[in-house]
Amino acid sequence: MEYILSILIFFPAFAGFIGFLVKEDSIKAYGIIVTALQFILSLILWINFDVNEALMQFTQVIPLISTYGINYSVGVDGISLFLVIMTTFMTMISIIGLSEKRDLKNLIITILFLEMTMVGVFLALDAIIFYAFWELSLVPMLYIIGAWGGKLRIYASIKFFLYTFLGSLIMLVGMLYLGYVYYLTTGVYSFSLEDWNMMILPFDMQFWLFIAFFCGFAVKVPMFPFHTWLPYAHGQAPTIGSVILAAVLLKMGTYGFVRFSLPLFPDASVYFTIPMAILALIAIVYTAMVAYAQEDMKQVIAYSSVSHMGVIILGIFALNVEGIGGSIFLMISHGIVSGALFMLVGVVYDRTHTKLIKDYGGIASIMPKYATIFAIMLMASIGLPLTIGFVGEFLSLLGFFKVSATLTLIAGLTIIFGAVYMLTMYKKVFFGEVRNEKNKELKDLNKRELSALIPLVALVIILGVYPKPILTPVENSVSALVDLMKIKAAEDNTRLEIIDRNSIEGDK
Amino acid sequence: MNEITPIDIEFASLNFTTIVPMLIAIVGALLILCIDLVNKKLDKSLYVMITVLFLLIDLGALASFSSDVRGFFDLLLVDGIAILSQGIIVIASIFFVLTAMGKLRFQEYRYPEYFALYLFMIAGFQFMVSSDSLILILVGLETASMALYTIIAMHNRLNALEAAIKYFTMGALSTAFFAFGSLIFYAVTGTVELGKISEVLVASSFENYPLVLLGVIFMLGALGFKLSLVPYHTWVADVYEGSTAALAGFLSIVPKLAGFVVALRFFEIFIAASDPFVEIILYITVVLTITIPNIIALLQKDISRMLAYSSISNAGFAMTAILIGTTQATQALFLYWLMFLITNLGAFSMLWINRSKNSTNFSSDHTLEKYSGLIKREPFTALMMGLFLFSLAGIPPFALFWGKLYLIGSAVNAGYIILALIMVINSAIAGYYYLKPIVHIFLKEPEPNSEKLLENATVSIKGIIGFCGILVIFSILLIEPLLDIISYYVQISGY
Repeated sequence: MEYILSILIFFPAFAGFIGFLVKEDSIKAYGIIVTALQFILSLILWINFDVNEALMQFTQVIPLISTYGINYSVGVDGISLFLVIMTTFMTMISIIGLSEKRDLKNLIITILFLEMTMVGVFLALDAIIFYAFWELSLVPMLYIIGAWGGKLRIYASIKFFLYTFLGSLIMLVGMLYLGYVYYLTTGVYSFSLEDWNMMILPFDMQFWLFIAFFCGFAVKVPMFPFHTWLPYAHGQAPTIGSVILAAVLLKMGTYGFVRFSLPLFPDASVYFTIPMAILALIAIVYTAMVAYAQEDMKQVIAYSSVSHMGVIILGIFALNVEGIGGSIFLMISHGIVSGALFMLVGVVYDRTHTKLIKDYGGIASIMPKYATIFAIMLMASIGLPLTIGFVGEFLSLLGFFKVSATLTLIAGLTIIFGAVYMLTMYKKVFFGEVRNEKNKELKDLNKRELSALIPLVALVIILGVYPKPILTPVENSVSALVDLMKIKAAEDNTRLEIIDRNSIEGDK
Repeated sequence: MNEITPIDIEFASLNFTTIVPMLIAIVGALLILCIDLVNKKLDKSLYVMITVLFLLIDLGALASFSSDVRGFFDLLLVDGIAILSQGIIVIASIFFVLTAMGKLRFQEYRYPEYFALYLFMIAGFQFMVSSDSLILILVGLETASMALYTIIAMHNRLNALEAAIKYFTMGALSTAFFAFGSLIFYAVTGTVELGKISEVLVASSFENYPLVLLGVIFMLGALGFKLSLVPYHTWVADVYEGSTAALAGFLSIVPKLAGFVVALRFFEIFIAASDPFVEIILYITVVLTITIPNIIALLQKDISRMLAYSSISNAGFAMTAILIGTTQATQALFLYWLMFLITNLGAFSMLWINRSKNSTNFSSDHTLEKYSGLIKREPFTALMMGLFLFSLAGIPPFALFWGKLYLIGSAVNAGYIILALIMVINSAIAGYYYLKPIVHIFLKEPEPNSEKLLENATVSIKGIIGFCGILVIFSILLIEPLLDIISYYVQISGY
């Protein structure tokens, strides 16, 4: 078990190399087998994971550039465990549901490489290794959007690449500076997160470093006003690209906030709570409105992603166990739900080659299975109780309620907006008369699509009813994180603020 | 009447070993010329291999040095920096001469003189980096440059002549600047040895400051031409375009490394004394050199011109190390340049094997359109080009990323945060133009009736590219041992 994390990271890439030798017509089966094995590996990790232990497990350190303190260092805790499982799961599901015919071999190999970088990001404990996987993930995504996308695919892929590239380069300067600060305090360089967590930084330094890391994470999330690349990327990406982008890549940004910004800069995190919340609220309100105005089904879901990511940010900056734990749960549930929604749009797009809402209508009578699954995912996306979407959203908002009731109220209202645009879209697409004669011949979901979607439906309901297996380990690690923030706070006000936000009403 | 005392030199006092590496290169060159006198029908591959052999011996001779040695009345200084940079120059030269083994017949490789000149040039660079006497540096510089002008001109095409003439006239101007700068320093300090100049200047606390500054400006001009610093960079793109791709790759690496070593030795005097004026001039030069060529590169439609501008910008990047002036920065300079060497060697060799002699479809040799849809036509070629381009763009974990990381890290550690941010923003700009060929290679459809590339490929060139590719991918494993070597040599010479 010692090397399981490294196996998890490099197995897909290694399988990708071997994939070059597989014939084009059997590459899809190969892809499914590899990603299924990878998913099973991640489940083995979960089984062996000690849920009562809050700290990093299965850690492995190999020195790479020891004079400069760069090590290959990986580990997993409750925060990253389920993000890894979600990643391997969604990659497997997206390949099962894959309907692309062009250049299938290149596509599947690219996705296997992408899987390596995504798992690497969630498992890396060394800032430079984290950065390496983080940046490397841009390359396969650039290729997926640019080679299999729609008409504006090249523009969209370049925009995606450059936005995230610049943001993360600024983050890199922040990382290098932190490594230097560590050198100044201890006399050796280190980029290890666990070493950095031992340092208490003065507020001024935290302030600037928070901004540097913010540049990298905010673009990826994407937070308002850095979100403009996302509608293009989603609009142009092929279905599988959208699924992985929404399900996993966006989560890297919010994961970064939890993993780096909170424990390293507790004072700055408290200081920036309100600005971050306001940006998140703008994202929630504004993109919900924009989503309502969209004519393209995929764009509706793309904007709703930005909106939901806003809720995640809100939960993270509640800085209490409910908020952070809830937003991690929301990351996982949004990964499953938005991935499923993008796949569902892909299903009709494959049949009709249009994603415009006005081209549909009355589909419910023609494709009943499709309409049912779509409805379940929609409910989960809106956050209906007993679906997976409810748990995270509720906890995130509950967490932030302790910080500001007013802001939470606004956020809560906009979840109603979310219901409005989603249900409007559903009404226009599925109910009413069949406006387009051609649609009468649409076939309902086939076996391939059902086998990809039914596991998602099952998860949405099971975890919606009983989220505990995930919530408990997450909350264990999150309370360790919050404790660390309390210890590391350089100023007493901050410590009191964090304690206050974590107190239960009766304690006061 | 005063009699001139006869000079009495003991041979041992010359410390003859200091000159042995250069001598090996020169002997090799002479041997090639002699062979040609005897038999004129020999194939170029013989000359290539003789060159490689002599360079290998040269490298062996270099490896025997382990600490500072002076020789020839202190004219020669074989310190850590000299050993290190000579080593890099010779290794790079071995790889680049092998690219002459292309399948297509080019005029210049039929002349044995080409290879003789090549060896003379390397000897010149070796002299240049292993001296701290301005006179000997100038001699080395001129030996190398004269050979280089001729080598460029031997490529028998109209724009090659243009390139050679352009390079020559610019080079002549820079020589004049160098000579004038040296003259001023001699006038102020009474010596041409950089070490002593430094001592005198510090002892007199920079007496005649305006004159010293004038000297600095002349020297900056002279080195600026060699290092293609803005605003002395205008020759670069035309010269690179006029030369063969392989030679352009060589030009972007080796002469500049020699220039960096001279710049390092020279500016060290002022950086160590933290002279504000020199620091500001260097700061501005570096920032402009990083930024302006980057912006010009955005507009290029020819990949070799684009790489030319990008290599100017990369020279600016490396130059920041001299501005920062810490030990870590000096190590970063060499690490960066080594990483740049393996990447650029690969990139230009790719262009070189994709050269087609009778291509009339495109406006220039390496237009972007030529590479459209390469992934569908020749997937392996496309992957290799993509690899080198991503490395140039600084995507981890490929080679140049580690160079950039260490360099930006040394800027951050020395407190140059703004400079680090400028470097970072420029990396992002560079990301855009490196993406352009990548977009053509991976994302566009192939042009109709596009011909097969790889016309010039031979096993030896493919071998070099494969070797570079492996180094680029697994560069992370190289960094630690390289840093050990570099820091050993940098520290024994006290930078």
